[in-house]
Amino acid sequence: MRKVTIISLFVSLIVSSFAAANEVNIFNARHYKADNELYSKFTNQTGIKVNLINGKASALEKRMIEEGADSSADLYITADAGRCGAFKAKGMTQSGLVSPTIKSSVPKNFRTTHWVGVAKRARIIYYSPERVSGAELSGLTYEGLADPKWKGRLVIRKSSNIYNKSLVASLIENNGKKAAAEWSKGVVSNMARTPKGNDRAQIMAVAAGEADIAVANTYYLALMLSGNKGAEQQAAAKKVKAFFPNQNDRGTHMNISCAALVKGAPNKANAIALVDFLLSPEAQEHFTNNTFEFPMIAGVSPNPLVVNNLGLDFKQDLTTKVSSYGKNQAAALEVMTAAGWK
Amino acid sequence: MYLKKINFWFLSSLLVSIFVAIPIVTVFTSFFEDTSNYYQILKDTFLFEYIFNSLVLLISVLVLTFLIGTSTAYLVSFYKFPFSNFFKWALILSFAVPPYIYAYSLTAFFENYGTLYSILKNLFGEANYNQSIPKFDGLIGAVLSLSFSLFAYVYILSRASFQYQSQNLIDLGRNLGFSKARSFYSLILPAARPAIVAGLSLVAMETLAEFGAVDFFSINTLTTGIYNSWITFDDLAFSNRISFCLLLFIFAIFILENLSRKKARYHANTKGGFKQKEKIQLSGTKAFFAFSICFVVFFLSFLFPLSQMLYWTLKFPENLFDIPVVTLTLNTLYLMLLSSIVLIIFSLISNYGNRVSKNKTLNALSTLSISGYAIPGVILAVAFITFIAWFDDNVVKALGFLSIKKMFIGSILGLVLVYFVRFYSLAFNGIKSGYEKINISVDESSYLLGYSKKKTFMNIHVPFLRNSLLFVGILISLEIIRELPITLILRPFNFETFATTAYISASEDLLEAAAVPSLFLILIATLFIMLTSKYILRENER
Repeated sequence: MRKVTIISLFVSLIVSSFAAANEVNIFNARHYKADNELYSKFTNQTGIKVNLINGKASALEKRMIEEGADSSADLYITADAGRCGAFKAKGMTQSGLVSPTIKSSVPKNFRTTHWVGVAKRARIIYYSPERVSGAELSGLTYEGLADPKWKGRLVIRKSSNIYNKSLVASLIENNGKKAAAEWSKGVVSNMARTPKGNDRAQIMAVAAGEADIAVANTYYLALMLSGNKGAEQQAAAKKVKAFFPNQNDRGTHMNISCAALVKGAPNKANAIALVDFLLSPEAQEHFTNNTFEFPMIAGVSPNPLVVNNLGLDFKQDLTTKVSSYGKNQAAALEVMTAAGWK
Repeated sequence: MYLKKINFWFLSSLLVSIFVAIPIVTVFTSFFEDTSNYYQILKDTFLFEYIFNSLVLLISVLVLTFLIGTSTAYLVSFYKFPFSNFFKWALILSFAVPPYIYAYSLTAFFENYGTLYSILKNLFGEANYNQSIPKFDGLIGAVLSLSFSLFAYVYILSRASFQYQSQNLIDLGRNLGFSKARSFYSLILPAARPAIVAGLSLVAMETLAEFGAVDFFSINTLTTGIYNSWITFDDLAFSNRISFCLLLFIFAIFILENLSRKKARYHANTKGGFKQKEKIQLSGTKAFFAFSICFVVFFLSFLFPLSQMLYWTLKFPENLFDIPVVTLTLNTLYLMLLSSIVLIIFSLISNYGNRVSKNKTLNALSTLSISGYAIPGVILAVAFITFIAWFDDNVVKALGFLSIKKMFIGSILGLVLVYFVRFYSLAFNGIKSGYEKINISVDESSYLLGYSKKKTFMNIHVPFLRNSLLFVGILISLEIIRELPITLILRPFNFETFATTAYISASEDLLEAAAVPSLFLILIATLFIMLTSKYILRENER
């Protein structure tokens, strides 16, 4: 009996590695509950099974690179344009992620033929209306965060955070590396504390009075306001207001969640079908109502929590190509580290 | 004569040792390739930071685990006080809480508008308590998470040693007119030193290899440094430098541990001189004091994280329905069972191989191969992928066979193989210590009786080693329930465990959702520990 058990364990081991069907394999670095619900919907509509491997973006990338041509990966989904760009630069993606839906619904600066943005988020400034005056805020830009008037009043995440890298990459793209290096030094000297915690922790630091302004992504405030994080955080979120910087010039820094078509994808057609599905009004609404991101396509409105508390009529930066985030990623980390940004 | 030594046992233990050594060798050979494109300025800034953080983390955790582990072990092995028998095994429940779950609990409790804030608000009404609540995050958070989750190594080993200290030693102290405190410092503690050092060196290895908690608090240590420079920046040259630093740390620990082991022979009790000691009954304030110390440690190490996770599960019950509890339990048990069986079988064979062949090369090779435990899981997993990819491209395909990558990368087989490398030393050493208690003359008598090697092994050694095998199986299972980085990188499609589910929610800033899988992980591990506490505490040895 014992022998049978042991043998069957081993057999199941070997067998588990062979299986093929109508499927699409996703290496997924974006882990929202809402995404899984979308994938089930996709399977119900098309009969295509969605296989997921969740993990940290860099580890997933490494695994795809080492698996090389034998990788079963079809799509790589991650929450930052810089990552998709850098992955493409490593030669790990392929062109061909094109379809009429993609072409008609995704603005040009949010896609290439290798990867496509499926949802948007803005990286904005949060402030305490009690301690920050309208005059101080008026015309505020990302560049203005280095102004000495914010000394000891600013909180932002660590320099290793990918959203910060992409923000600084966009500053490098617009103002040059030297200016970005100076800017980083200014920001570091304005920090109210050594960087720590996630985006939500930055917003809560403003609510708790540790700082007056914070830099964080848009959907976090909506998430706190939704009450999904508990009554305390809902109350805390109400003490903080959102401000969209750079309204008088290029617009607010935008980032995307992107899907990249992996080189050698065994189920290319299914992968494109999935991306098309993610861009459908139904899926886009699901994104906006659950992850509180901005929709990629026109005709879908962001969640009321986002619209009412953050506003809708803001100028998005549609001129800086998000593909530059990947290109300038390493330089961004370099200038931040040199400035002593932990 | 030489050829005679090359038999089944020798070959199989040679093969096991070589196999385990492969990823370790891969780590170091791939570091000689120079593909640096990572800026110099980053390297200089970071290297110092990595070393500094690792050093601070290591020393603080060692000091804390030493203090907590030996003091509680001393109290429960020498004294009787209220609940002392309960604490004896309750203190090992901290094993059920991996450092990363402890880290989630600390953050949840102390963060701005966290659990403590809610408690204060409900007790004293609305006010801004956030400013006065201490924040246990960053390096301090990591030190606390690691210490409360790992002190049980020191506790178990020093308790086992205290337990078998002979009454003679205590009588000696009394005859010399020593106070209890002086007896403890001058006699009891030194006599238990090898056990304590063994416990501390396990703590040190775990601390240096820790990924989950350290990553959660985003502290740059040598391990996260290797991960970032190798995996994120493809800079093998810099990874090499960091690995070298990490290795220096590990070698220092190895040497210290070995030095103290040599001393152990001096202190070992012979059976004749062993006199069962009597526990001293404490009463009044002393009893209360002893109780309080044990309770505080038990509370902080186990009840606190358990209740925080329970609180969140109840507060956000919708998360409960999003998690396929049965599937996750089965997945976890499957990995646990499979890995334990494989590890035990092969460690037994190679231990026996070492015993019968007495070959120096083999001995050296097995020493090298057990160092897998000292190499962080993240690094091993990536090294394994790198090796398989290289082997597939250069050997398998060159010989005209089909690619083997899919069989090993992203399969249960690959997962178990890397667990094997990582935990081989736990299994090998656990069985080895059992083997050392079987006198070699037993083997000789058995051969004289005409038993073959196989028969000696199956009919004499295996039954003798039963308790050691159980102990090893328990240790491995506990490690696998909590294991994170290897599972995360190598698991197949649609395959999750409680650990990976918790980690993924936490990494998306959805700590509330991480509470449910964390709670189940703690409960399963607790159940497991309770069922096997007899073997973990090694009550029935000697």
